[in-house]
Amino acid sequence: MTKSKPETKKVPTYCFQCVSGPDLIKVEVEDGVAVRIEPNLNICGQHPGKGTPCVKAYGLVQKTYNPNRVAQPMKRTNPKKGRHEDPGFVPISWDEALDTVADKLREIRSKGAKDNSGYPRLAASFGGGGTPTRFMGSFPALLAAWGPADLGFGAGQGVKCYHSEHLYGELWQRAFTLAVDSPYCDYVINCGNNVDASGGATGVRRGAEARRRGMKRVMVEPHLSVTGAMSAEWVPIKPKTDAAFLFAVIHRIIKERDWREVCDVRFLEEDTTAPYLVAPNGYYLREAGTEKPLIWDLSDGTAKPFDANIVQPALAGSYTASGLELGADEEVWRHAGVEVRPAFQMLLEHIDEYTPEWAEAECDVPAETMRRIGDEFVAHARVGATIEIEGETLPLRPVAVMLGKSVNNGPGGYHAVWARTLLSVLVGAIEVPGANLGTKVRLNRPANNKHLSAVSSRDGIMDFPFNETSKEGWASQPKIRNGYNTLVPLSSSSPWAPALGPAHLPWLFQKEPPENWPRPTLPDLWFCYRTNPAISSWNAPEVAERIAEFPFTVAFAYTKDETNHMADIVLPEATDLESLQLSRIGGTGSGEQFWKHQGWMIRQPAVKPVVDAMDMTDIATEICKRAGFLAEYNMAINKGAAGMRLVNSQFDYSLDPEVSYGVEEIWDRVAKAASHDLTNGEEVHGIDWFKEHGYMLREFAQREWYLYPYLKERGIRFELPYQERIKRHGAQLANRLHEAGIEWWDGQLKDYDPLPKYESFPDIWTNFVREKRQNPSDFPFWALTARSMQYAWGANVGIPLIYEVAENISGHGGIIINKQAAQRLGIGQGDPVVIESATGVTRGNAVLRQGIRPDTVLMIGQFDHWATPFAKDLNLPSLNTITDISLSLTDGTGSSSDIVRVKISKDTEMRSAGS
Amino acid sequence: MNQSLSARTDQSQGQDPKQRFGMVIDLNSCVGCQTCTIACKHENDTPPGVQWRRVIDVELGQFPNVERLFLVTGCQHCDEPPCVPVCPTGATRQRADGLVTMDYDRCIGCGYCAVACPYQARTIAHEQNWYYGTPTVQEEQVAQKGRIGVANKCTFCVDRVDGGIAQGLTPGIDPEATPACANSCIATAIHFGDFADPNSNVSQLSGDGRAFQMHQELGTDPQIKYLYGLDNSMPGRERTADDVDDEALQDPDNPLAGQRQTFWDMRAAMNFTLGGMSTGLIIMAWLAYVTGFLPQDSLLAINLVAGVGMAVGLFFVFLEIARKFRFLYVLLRPGTSWMTRETYVVALFYPTLIADLVQPSELLHLALAVAAAAFLYCQARILPAAKGIPAWRGRLMPWMLLATGLLEGAGLLAIAASLFSGPAGAAPVAAGAGGVLAVINAILWRKYIATARACGIGPLARNALAAITLRLRLIGHALPLLGFALFLGLWLDYPFLAAATCLVAGIGAVAGGILWKFTVITKACHQQGFALPKVPQRGSGTRAAPARMGTAV
Repeated sequence: MTKSKPETKKVPTYCFQCVSGPDLIKVEVEDGVAVRIEPNLNICGQHPGKGTPCVKAYGLVQKTYNPNRVAQPMKRTNPKKGRHEDPGFVPISWDEALDTVADKLREIRSKGAKDNSGYPRLAASFGGGGTPTRFMGSFPALLAAWGPADLGFGAGQGVKCYHSEHLYGELWQRAFTLAVDSPYCDYVINCGNNVDASGGATGVRRGAEARRRGMKRVMVEPHLSVTGAMSAEWVPIKPKTDAAFLFAVIHRIIKERDWREVCDVRFLEEDTTAPYLVAPNGYYLREAGTEKPLIWDLSDGTAKPFDANIVQPALAGSYTASGLELGADEEVWRHAGVEVRPAFQMLLEHIDEYTPEWAEAECDVPAETMRRIGDEFVAHARVGATIEIEGETLPLRPVAVMLGKSVNNGPGGYHAVWARTLLSVLVGAIEVPGANLGTKVRLNRPANNKHLSAVSSRDGIMDFPFNETSKEGWASQPKIRNGYNTLVPLSSSSPWAPALGPAHLPWLFQKEPPENWPRPTLPDLWFCYRTNPAISSWNAPEVAERIAEFPFTVAFAYTKDETNHMADIVLPEATDLESLQLSRIGGTGSGEQFWKHQGWMIRQPAVKPVVDAMDMTDIATEICKRAGFLAEYNMAINKGAAGMRLVNSQFDYSLDPEVSYGVEEIWDRVAKAASHDLTNGEEVHGIDWFKEHGYMLREFAQREWYLYPYLKERGIRFELPYQERIKRHGAQLANRLHEAGIEWWDGQLKDYDPLPKYESFPDIWTNFVREKRQNPSDFPFWALTARSMQYAWGANVGIPLIYEVAENISGHGGIIINKQAAQRLGIGQGDPVVIESATGVTRGNAVLRQGIRPDTVLMIGQFDHWATPFAKDLNLPSLNTITDISLSLTDGTGSSSDIVRVKISKDTEMRSAGS
Repeated sequence: MNQSLSARTDQSQGQDPKQRFGMVIDLNSCVGCQTCTIACKHENDTPPGVQWRRVIDVELGQFPNVERLFLVTGCQHCDEPPCVPVCPTGATRQRADGLVTMDYDRCIGCGYCAVACPYQARTIAHEQNWYYGTPTVQEEQVAQKGRIGVANKCTFCVDRVDGGIAQGLTPGIDPEATPACANSCIATAIHFGDFADPNSNVSQLSGDGRAFQMHQELGTDPQIKYLYGLDNSMPGRERTADDVDDEALQDPDNPLAGQRQTFWDMRAAMNFTLGGMSTGLIIMAWLAYVTGFLPQDSLLAINLVAGVGMAVGLFFVFLEIARKFRFLYVLLRPGTSWMTRETYVVALFYPTLIADLVQPSELLHLALAVAAAAFLYCQARILPAAKGIPAWRGRLMPWMLLATGLLEGAGLLAIAASLFSGPAGAAPVAAGAGGVLAVINAILWRKYIATARACGIGPLARNALAAITLRLRLIGHALPLLGFALFLGLWLDYPFLAAATCLVAGIGAVAGGILWKFTVITKACHQQGFALPKVPQRGSGTRAAPARMGTAV
């Protein structure tokens, strides 16, 4: 009555389609055909997601056998590029394809790696979150061997990532992203962080476990997301006013309640810069000579260096003291008997105006709700409580605050992230059990240990690799076209910095070159891999036009899509279940990847490529060999470009620079180095061992989850509430830019505020309608987007199985609109509607729901495909079609927010696809 | 009749009767990710659009007082499964350990189990479809061709459970012995285990009233139990009237609102209509005959016509069966299935009819009338046993089908009496009975409509019923009643006018029957929706969980 299964093998591998991975899986293979995916429950005792992958992993079988796959390398025959141009792709051999790419690289090399504007002639874009590196084999070694490359052409980052959190999070707590310490947390204020859709299997599991344990989550967002659904309370806030909400909660805690009673005063005094004295010009008062910031000691009424023995640090009040004040550009004030106030006092005064009643008018949340949430927050914080972790007593502060993407991106993002971090700091709930924890570092180094980067600056706070803004240090010549090192001090200079700069600016500047700025040039060659900016970027249609202007694009392609539609060479790489790679696993990472183990895992060919595809590692090796830099490439692998150094003082598994190795050999060396490193040489395994076992782990101390104990050991304070460094960098950056005649970045300079002042952020988008010479009252709705667990990051929109199951979740069928609001417009369930912003139009079917504010509409995911097979026939709307890339909407970190004013009407001319 | 008792006699396989497998699903854990849905599709190789495990996205209330939750659905492996007794072939069975299983080689695809299931758990894929239009090598490899045209549903991954037990593993504890959905769940929302064991995971989780069963009032005793409350953070609450109001259920896209079933379409309606009126006619004609109002020749002619009509109806229902070559399997469940019993009655009816035509006798006349009545009775029992369709399962439905069949028979007899000289004498019998039956039908319909809501018939189906009520009352009730009454007043004095009146009344009687049966079977045939008697207290406004000024524990 049921099938009898033939003999099969189950191949261990991993799914890392989303940034919240990895999840380990097994591929069931029957007679050489991958037939099913299942969890790899062998690792359920170690994997924080208990070995289960999320829904996306199960799409990999259909991905592998997708008949729409690019079947062999292709070249373009139509020199004209554009959405409406047929590329005229014709099949070519791998030899021809690789030679063509290699010849192009040789030609570029002969001209010099940088062009006349000082920009790299080679550019490359990869998909979000760093996940493509888990699939691209040794391709990073190609880039490392090559030299300067522009990795700053964005594919939507800035609006699609946690941008302010990335930058300020790393500044304040070494947190590229934040997570809740779910196993211990009791109360979460969550402003739109859709973790139950985007947090992966691990995030979902830990969240569910926490709820069952009693964690209470209050979700503050304009629409009732999946995560909102799973929260104890949904607070339907007006879009983009989260900072006002958070300011009012802070007001409740430190102005209406007695902060001395409800806050963690000891923590504020000892572990933050709250007692640092602020001098009249807004910089810290410092001890003459040592230049150390001063703290007022109430016990003897004197100002002392922050690291002196201070009996009773003053947090509030106003004092008369003497010392130095170091301003921007080495400006120095020498004060004698000047009035100074502790940073916390500055905060008290700053927050005074942000009452719950004020916030109610701004964010449409009842003042009493904010008061109650503030009270609940401090009640759950359990100031003074401790917990024993691995034999060590640590503070327990089981409260956390999470922010969603549109909340902490773009204007207002700094304000929200600051307020969030401040809330944590007020009760000592930062980087301790139960609190907000950073997941990993991307801007600080070393990359695989967030703690080691936490070294003290001379001011007793964590040092940070700001891009210089001093006269001597400032980079007037941007390294790449998005100018991150010139415009955004916080973006630092790590390998990740290019992608975390203002990654939309290259597209904008390509169309409208800014004044007094190196002439925007087109890259001579652009590689794109696992990315589709022509769909995923804000103002995707415009970005597609810019991509069409690129002279030579090499796209690694799985199916045709909107970006590789403009490609000159299309290379089908062996996909997830067809290729080989070793990758790090464990420790701490995005989503809620908090492990008690770390090690290495394998992604291996469960089946042979079903098309004429090559493994990315072989592609990289062949290109380097043919382009004449094989030795550099091999040496880059030896230095760790494939994820692990192959040679150090303990071992040497290095590649001979002059030899061209196959994919198996390269990863065999990596496997040996990795296992050697993991076990100090006690257990060295080659790639075959990993193929059989899937992964290799060693223990990772839970203490490593928490940064606070490390800071405490090193005597480092959290730099909250007052942002002296930000203020100084802002002033200096303004000077530098103005000296260079650059005034188009002035709007962004407003963010360099030591205590961020609220402005009505929604008005920025309303005013943008005016900027486009239209009437804001014609656009009465806020349009937002939200993540879909079924689709997020997966590039799986062309997979019918994913589509089928995603349809069970409301909103995948069109645009979500409040039922009553729709009825007022005469729009019924399923009606085709047209959604217009001041700059774009998208279409879809109305999905009438109750869980959304009447002034808001929502488009899940990012669709509106016009080239990707299957997806192009779905007739789904996309916010990316109606947003605009603009400096007016860009904040100081170089990001914006996925929000736009729109009008909705019944679609009288339905698209043929949908009709 | 207690169908479940006889269903138990169908227990056939040697599973441990001391076990009772089921699931506990936690509404405060499930995030609606569909991982279970897709893992089930992998494990069971289901074709496009078929989801044995499905998680629906539910909203309760109205902005600004809204709650959203995700509800795991699928076969509930009821302790009293309504799908089992109705199955005419024995393809659907309940094992000793409670699992409700499917024998795809036995199933004829009649769809009876599908309309009997109040949990929308069953599907029938009538043709093999492929995700990309044409089959991939993987799809060809895993395609389950034997499952096309037969009923499908979740089996609780019976092969895994049995295989695991055979290895000495514990279902629900050892993944190899546990359904794929439970293994795959990333939120630990789905628990599988043995409810018969008080110490099992599922018993422990669901004890002390922490769980509810869906549609408990239907007596199915489903073995999926839903956890709905977390004491200190999101306590459970009773469903309120404004959680899901009629307006919400009028939205066909609302997953709580059952969709119109398509398992039984106009072909089934033809059987109920032609079968009802034919058997009614035979009964009425026999009554007229034994009371001396109808000559034997006319009786035989009428019986022949009715037999043909019934055969046409049965042919339509044969067309409804997906696996026609297995048709005779329909005879395998006489113990419980009214569909089987109807078939046996048919097997008696036609020999009797032929014998009566060849060698007419009083006894055969009577036997044929009895067989017709038995057939009508079977029909009257078939539809209400479809517990999955609220409009069909009400207590009034058997009476309505009986009364309408007889009214239609009276109507047809009246028509025959009006048009032909042979049976003309039967008109008073037809009119007398028809008038009474029109009143009975009118009363039954009135009660049916009045109690529709209370019987669980949703607003979409009620709308469909309301849409025909005026027409039904005028054509199907008032016209026969008045027409037959008028006929009785006129027939002695104005025979021609009386005949015309009788004809019109008869046509009304038949038309009314056709109207409501087609409407009920093909339009007001919405499946039982999903309903939660209790829900977690969470959401916005009035639905938010209570404030808490303390710790989690």
